[in-house]
Amino acid sequence: MKARRYFLLCICFVVSAFQFTEKSLFFVPDTWPKPKYDFSKNPITESKVELGRKLFYDPIFSGDNTISCASCHSQYTAFTHVDHALSHGIEDRIGTRNSPALMNLAWQKLFMRDGAVNHLDMQALAPISNPLEMDETITHVVSKLQANNLYPTLFYRAFGDSIITGEHTLKAISQFMLTLISSNSRYDSVMRKQANFSEQEKNGYRLYQQNCSSCHPEPLFTNDEFMNNGLPTDSTLKDYGRLGVTKNPNDSLKFKVPTLRNVEFSYPYMHDGRFKRLSEVLKHYTSGIRQSNTLANVLQKPIVLTSNEKVDIIAFLLTLTDKSFLFNPKFSYPRK
Amino acid sequence: MKNLSIIFVIVFVSSVRFISAQTNTAMYISISPTYGANVVDLADSSFLTNDSNNLQIDVLKFYISHFQFLKAGINVLEEQNSFHLVDASDPKTLQIIILNKQNIVFDQLDFYLGIDSITTVSGAMGGDLDPTKGMYWSWQSGYINCKLEGKSKLCSTRNNEFQFHLGGYQSPFNTLQALEFPISNTEHIHITFDIKKIIENINLATLNHVMSPNNVALQLSKTVSKAISIK
Ligand code: HEC
Ligand code: HEC
Repeated sequence: MKARRYFLLCICFVVSAFQFTEKSLFFVPDTWPKPKYDFSKNPITESKVELGRKLFYDPIFSGDNTISCASCHSQYTAFTHVDHALSHGIEDRIGTRNSPALMNLAWQKLFMRDGAVNHLDMQALAPISNPLEMDETITHVVSKLQANNLYPTLFYRAFGDSIITGEHTLKAISQFMLTLISSNSRYDSVMRKQANFSEQEKNGYRLYQQNCSSCHPEPLFTNDEFMNNGLPTDSTLKDYGRLGVTKNPNDSLKFKVPTLRNVEFSYPYMHDGRFKRLSEVLKHYTSGIRQSNTLANVLQKPIVLTSNEKVDIIAFLLTLTDKSFLFNPKFSYPRK
Repeated sequence: MKNLSIIFVIVFVSSVRFISAQTNTAMYISISPTYGANVVDLADSSFLTNDSNNLQIDVLKFYISHFQFLKAGINVLEEQNSFHLVDASDPKTLQIIILNKQNIVFDQLDFYLGIDSITTVSGAMGGDLDPTKGMYWSWQSGYINCKLEGKSKLCSTRNNEFQFHLGGYQSPFNTLQALEFPISNTEHIHITFDIKKIIENINLATLNHVMSPNNVALQLSKTVSKAISIK
């Protein structure tokens, strides 16, 4: 009788603990849309997220065991590459690109600046197989993980199978990346009526809504589409963005609209990292737009902003910085 | 204790066997990669043809998927999770067994050469679809439906090599090929993949390197689908 009561108590405890971790590992912030990632094929669990986190920080993914995902996607810069306009050491098409900030990936449909990757699970394959990047094959990575003295146990804990597969490796990395949610900036506090904008920020918010929100809409600050925002083509890189994937001339010079969340830290900006400062970005939108057949309609007519107004927009953009994301210990190097 | 559980497993497995033997008919689908009349076996070495251009076949791997059995044009049986990677260097992959639970009668078999687009956008998958199988593009998502590699004097490439990695799941370059064949012997279905039919229909001197989804891959996929027949 007593044993039975303990048993029930245990069950209650396990169930509530489970619900608690589920919520804190992945959640949909209030007012946000439904995620695009299909969780039914890869349900989030704590052991899988932890495994994914370990994999994300493990240089075992590179041929010479020196580079991990985190080498190019560092937490303190919103998971983009510190300081390098073009992620270095990368050949071919990927080498011509600036590594994007990683956050709120569950709400994204296609990945990479040109959408070449069709699912978050498949993203890790791109750097792994790239000759000068991580110089490795997923097949060999899996055999290295299998030979490791820790991973078979961790995979067993996560997937109930100590035989490591490509599928489980990729799903675990996805799980960790899916937990990288940034929804706690000062902007979010203002929206939740827990804080106020300054006059300058308020004006910047208004100007953002007028000029920028069609492509960078709230609450994700991206419409998750491919647009041409009028950047002149770099004659050495000759990167035509989405065209390379679809071969459709209407997609020439279109790149994925990135989020503006944590933009204070995700410099350098644009697919090739051509701008170091937000002031340069605003200068581009007001006086640098290059006309072409595929230029977005809303940018056909120049955006007019006084220099004070530009400063106000930047003040607003800085309210999108989410310190609790950038310094969340759950996302950092696993020290255990 | 350990012995006991082994005995249990054996009893369990054999009883399952026994039950299944009663109600299921196994259908054997065998696949033969050939070059004309010769069988192409790549298990231990490349395959040398007697073609005047020293044609040699090094790799042949392809996906067949979505087996559907029809009677008078109506779908009567479907293999679940039907994805098969066929590899001319791995004899295990050259035979597929499908259980026909209710002895369903059919006269036609339909399947795809390649992996359909819905499956392609569904994230990481296991079994024959696991990316460790080497049939997944990394720099741009998508399965490689068919790999054919070899050498020929006609190719003025490094080591006279040709490499065809055919894939692409998005229109207008969806390279998936739907195939249908009438079936008379329903117990043993014999699929032949005759590489000669491909080589004879292309010019290796000008076409020897296809590695991404585009119109050339699309046209070549159509040619490759004609190499498949059922006797
Ligand atoms: C050498 C640098 C480098 C390494 C190492 C690297 N990445 Fe990236 N990552 C990039 C670059 C550059 C891009 C953008 C490429 C493009 O758009 O063409 C990118 C894009 C991404 C994206 C897409 C983001 C988006 O918004 O579309 C994800 C997700 C990602 N990487 C995850 C990973 C994971 C997981 C690993 C480890 C397996 C990893 N990266 C390793 C440089 C790197
Ligand atoms: C027509 C759609 C469109 C409009 C309108 C637009 N943007 Fe963008 N924005 C984009 C695209 C597309 C990119 C990415 C371009 C690239 O990668 O080369 C981008 C990139 C950015 C970036 C770089 C982010 C990063 O992490 O690299 C910033 C900052 C930015 N936009 C701010 C703004 C501001 C501020 C406004 C309003 C003044 C604005 N955008 C209006 C489409 C738009």
